[in-house]
Parts: sequence; C-alpha cells; structure tokens
Amino acid sequence: MLDALIVWATEWVTGTFGDTWGDRLAYLTNGKHLAWYASVRFTLIAAFAGAAVAVLCGLLGAAALRSRIAPLRWVGKVYTTIVRGVPDVLFFLFFPLAFEQSVEWFMAQRSCDAATLANATSWPPCAAAQWYLGTGEYLALACVSLGIVYGAFAANVINGAMTAVPRGQLEAAKAYGFSSRQVFWRFQVRQMWIYALPGLSNVWMLLLKATSLLSLLQIQDMVVWANRIGAPNYIARVGAVHGDWRWRYYIALFVFYILLTMISEYIFRRLRERASRGMALSST
Amino acid sequence: MSVFTDGTLIDTVRQLGRPALFNIYFALASIPLGFPFALLLALGRSSRITPLAWLSRSYIYAFRGSPLFIQFFMVYSVMLAFNLSTWKPMGIDHIVLHPLFLGPLVLVLNTAAYGAEILSGALHAVPKGQIEAARAVGMSRLQIFRSVTWPNAIRIAWPAYTNEVVFLFHATALVYFTLPVINEQKDLMNKAGELFERDYNAVLHYSVAAGYFLVISALVFWAAGLVYKRMIRHLGNDAPSRMRFKPNYLR
Repeated sequence: MLDALIVWATEWVTGTFGDTWGDRLAYLTNGKHLAWYASVRFTLIAAFAGAAVAVLCGLLGAAALRSRIAPLRWVGKVYTTIVRGVPDVLFFLFFPLAFEQSVEWFMAQRSCDAATLANATSWPPCAAAQWYLGTGEYLALACVSLGIVYGAFAANVINGAMTAVPRGQLEAAKAYGFSSRQVFWRFQVRQMWIYALPGLSNVWMLLLKATSLLSLLQIQDMVVWANRIGAPNYIARVGAVHGDWRWRYYIALFVFYILLTMISEYIFRRLRERASRGMALSST
Repeated sequence: MSVFTDGTLIDTVRQLGRPALFNIYFALASIPLGFPFALLLALGRSSRITPLAWLSRSYIYAFRGSPLFIQFFMVYSVMLAFNLSTWKPMGIDHIVLHPLFLGPLVLVLNTAAYGAEILSGALHAVPKGQIEAARAVGMSRLQIFRSVTWPNAIRIAWPAYTNEVVFLFHATALVYFTLPVINEQKDLMNKAGELFERDYNAVLHYSVAAGYFLVISALVFWAAGLVYKRMIRHLGNDAPSRMRFKPNYLR
C-alpha cells in the first residue's frame, strides 16, 4: 500500500516537476529514510508515556510534599531536590542501569549456585543471571526514568497549584456542608489542574526535548538514523553517493523539534483557554 | 581493605575530581560570552528595528525550542561539513573541532537564548516611573540605560539567571556524549561511565558524580545568594524574599 503510494507519488512528481524533483522524492522515500521517519515513534512513545509517568510521579510527589506526616514530607523534599539538582542525563542513564542490575541481582540469587555467587568478580555473577534488554525494555525504562525526572518538576508545579486554589472557595464549599474529603477532591484537586496547566506545559516542553536522549539507551531513534543516513555514503558499483550530509539531517532534526514545540504550545494554549472558561483567573 | 583501593567511595570521589574540572571549565568558559550575547538578544527582541527584533525572537525561540543534544550534533556536523577545521587561529591546528572549543561555543549559543528570555523579562519589569524620572532629569538614553534600567534589570534577573547558570552547568554533562573524547580529557559522566565499566558498580559511581553536580550547584547558588543579598541591601522593606533554588527552566 505504502510502496504503491510512493511509486505513484514519485511518478507524479517526476511528470510534473521534472527528473530532479522526482529523484529527490525517490531518495527521501527510500528504505532508510522510511526507517528514519518510522523511528519517530520511539520519540513520541517516550514523550507520551513519559508524560503519563511524570504526572503520576508529580501527583505522588506533591502528595508527599503536602503530607501531614513529616517523614513523608522529607521524602518528597529529598525527591524533588535531588532529582532537580542533578543533570537529567545522569539520571536517565543511571536509572535503567540500576534497575537492570537489581533485577539481575534477584535473578542471581535464584539461579546461580552459592559458590559462584560468593567468588564472582564480574557482573552478572553467572550467565543465567544475565538479563538481555531489547529496544522495548529500554524504551520502557527510558519512559519511567523520564517520568521520574520530570515528575519531580511536576510535583513542584502541582504543589504550587494546590496552594494557588483560592482559600475562599474551599471555605465556601465547607460552609455549604461538603465534607473535607469532598472539598479536597471536588474543589481543590479539580481546580488545581487549571493553575498547574502553565507549569505542566513547561514540564512537557522539557520532557519533549529530553526525548532526544533515547539513543543513549541503545534505542534506534531519530538521532541514530540521522547519523547513519547522513554519513558519507560510498557504493562500490556507483562510487560516492554523497559526502558528509549529517549536518543536513541534524538541521532537519533541529527544525523537527522546533515544530514539535510550536505544536505543543498551540495545543496547550487552546487547552488553557478551554480549561479556564468561567474561571476567575486574574491574569492570562 | 583500605579505603583508598579501587572501587571504594573515597577512591571514586578522588578519581572524579579532575573530570569535575572539565564540567566547571565548560560552564565557566561559556558564561563570559553567553551573558553579553543574551543581553544583546534581549535588547534586540524589543528593538524598534523590525528585522532585528524578528531575528532575535526567532533565534531565542529556536534555541529554546530544540534540545541541546541536537544542537551539539548540529553544530559539530556543520563544522565538519564546511571544513572549518582548516581554520587555524593562533596557529593551533584543529581548534574548531576540539571539544574544549566547540563545547563552550554550543553552550554559549544555547545559554544566550535562555538568558535572553530571562533578561528581556527583567528589562520589561523595570519600574516605568524610574525611567520617566531619569528622563525628566534630562538623562540621555545611554545614561538612562546605564544608571536606571541596567541596575534594576540585573537585580530582577539575578535569581532566574542563577538558575540558568546552574542548569548550564548541568548541561555540560552532554558535551562528551556528542563530541569526541580526546585522551584523558573526560568529564564527570565519561569518567563515571568508565569506572562503571570496570566494576559494574553503577550506584557508587553515578551517585558520586551526582554528588559532585549537587555540591557544585549548591555552591554556585550559595555564592549567587551572597551577591544577591548585596544587590538588594538598599531596598529595606521592599526587598524581595530570600533567593530560592527554583529550577524551572532547563534544556
């Protein structure tokens, strides 16, 4: 289906705009390029799944930050401070490694015999405890670590938004006879989202940009493909197909990310307009 | 087992000391150029010359809207493609492709965009009344900028710009993921990765690297806080509250 479409489009372009444009389209739709376009899925999956985990971590983190129990508050404080005080790329690399090693440690406890375990000098202690990670596993780990990192930012945003809900409204709700649980869920949490939206859109932009790091976890994402297709290409039968074109592909990625930012900005603006209908927001 | 043998905490701290200097170098080398560039962009953004304003706006948007990781690759590959490596400033070969040159260059391009956003916000937040007063006294435009706009703007921008510096420091972790590593010139992430491959102790090595980042960030913040205290000392009761570590913008 896709192949037929490409052939048809190439013929049409050749017929309409001439051979040069036809060749260009043919080049841009060859197998490697299609693989490159398809690799965008990793970026989008990481962005959306990462965002879902980040919102979850953000809610948990904000709940911990606002908890009545002091140790929980400390946990929230430590989580948000440490994760934000360390480069995201460090955590992005560290979390999957640490997770893999913990899983392998449990596997080693179960499947290696005691003597090997005690004398082991390398990791994993025995071959049976080796956990091979494929792209899928790495992608899942990447989503979780992105979620944890940006969840710390989201936690702060949500915490601030919870405080931003006007106290008068909560008191009015209480005066109408809502129980404190109802006041919390139906008034504070529900209105919190509107105050959190600008901050969360900020976190989304950060997360979107961080998805460019997927190649560090051996995922064949857009960056890997750009590097591969753009590298100087030589075929013995034809000679040099093209020189070093990586700059073109990286500029394309640069533009692609700017477009993603523009689209998200537009969507968040619409979302904010929609969400704040009938809200007495002083600004924006 | 002595605490100084390989694979212990103290050994890792010792081994990561020199690599930390590379991260500090990248950050320190990019601020002196990044700050003036940011100021120029901030001024250009609200300039009356339309093309200039448009250019600065799109520059800021582009470099804030795309990942630094991609920017590194982009600049490096452009440098490669246009054979800028044959450029020999001061007779030094291959300086353009050297990470110690190219790293700060890309960081300057990047931090200028983020800094410009902060500074232009601060420039707009300067109290109008003060500028009008300065005009009424008969100051020239340059005088107004030097003695009214600038001191106000830098004070308003200081906390946010400190955050930007801290995140610039964090961003230096990306330099050696994108640019070639030459000999023993390694930063924290490289060295932590190398130590990890030696004994597979991810928790120890990466935690120590993270500790370095945390401690240096905290030091930067503490020093900037002292300067800030001095900046606002004349404000009395109007002074804003203590500077807080509020990292909201990063790349």
